[in-house]
Amino acid sequence: MYNDYKDRADFLAIYIREAHPQDEWQMKSNVDQGVCYPQPHTLAQRVAIAEDFSKRFSFPLPLGIDDMRDTADHMYGGWPERIYILDENRKIVYQGGLGPFGFHPEEAQAWLSKRFPATQPAD
Amino acid sequence: MKKLRWILIAIIAVLALAYGTLSYFMGGPRDVYGFLRYALPQWHKGPLRVGDTAPDFQVYSLDGQETFRLHDRMGSRPMVLIFGSYT
Repeated sequence: MYNDYKDRADFLAIYIREAHPQDEWQMKSNVDQGVCYPQPHTLAQRVAIAEDFSKRFSFPLPLGIDDMRDTADHMYGGWPERIYILDENRKIVYQGGLGPFGFHPEEAQAWLSKRFPATQPAD
Repeated sequence: MKKLRWILIAIIAVLALAYGTLSYFMGGPRDVYGFLRYALPQWHKGPLRVGDTAPDFQVYSLDGQETFRLHDRMGSRPMVLIFGSYT
């Protein structure tokens, strides 16, 4: 989605409170994939995990890290994962469901596809 | 008193059945506990809805050294916001 629309829309990933840290609800899949971190309690700890994530996946999206009061998360109900689309007037035009079951990037992609229909070459 | 005891047993049985069913679908009793203890209390939709004006907020850069605001990153194009974490 980012690669398809980065020339027509802005993207910003907001790094928030961990969903499955070691000291809370750690999933088996986290252990299997070597993604084992305790819930950070300082900004430096959260930054360190976000940097590991960014490096491991060569994460291409611009990324902002939420403060330790989880301000952005609480404002947008972002935990554990969620997608929003804001239009040029700063209005919310797409609000995804709460992850994991409500997290559907294809819905956001469908919105972008409708907003930026592919132009067909003339015959 | 006897009736109360049976009611209590019935409640415990229903809770045990619910816990067992959730365990089956969620991968184990540890995951049910984790969900109930850690996820449910913070799993909230938030106050925003489609059509609302997106509130501004401040976040830190990837290295944690600088801050920037959402609205400062918004221009004349739609903005896709993706919330998440590594784990």
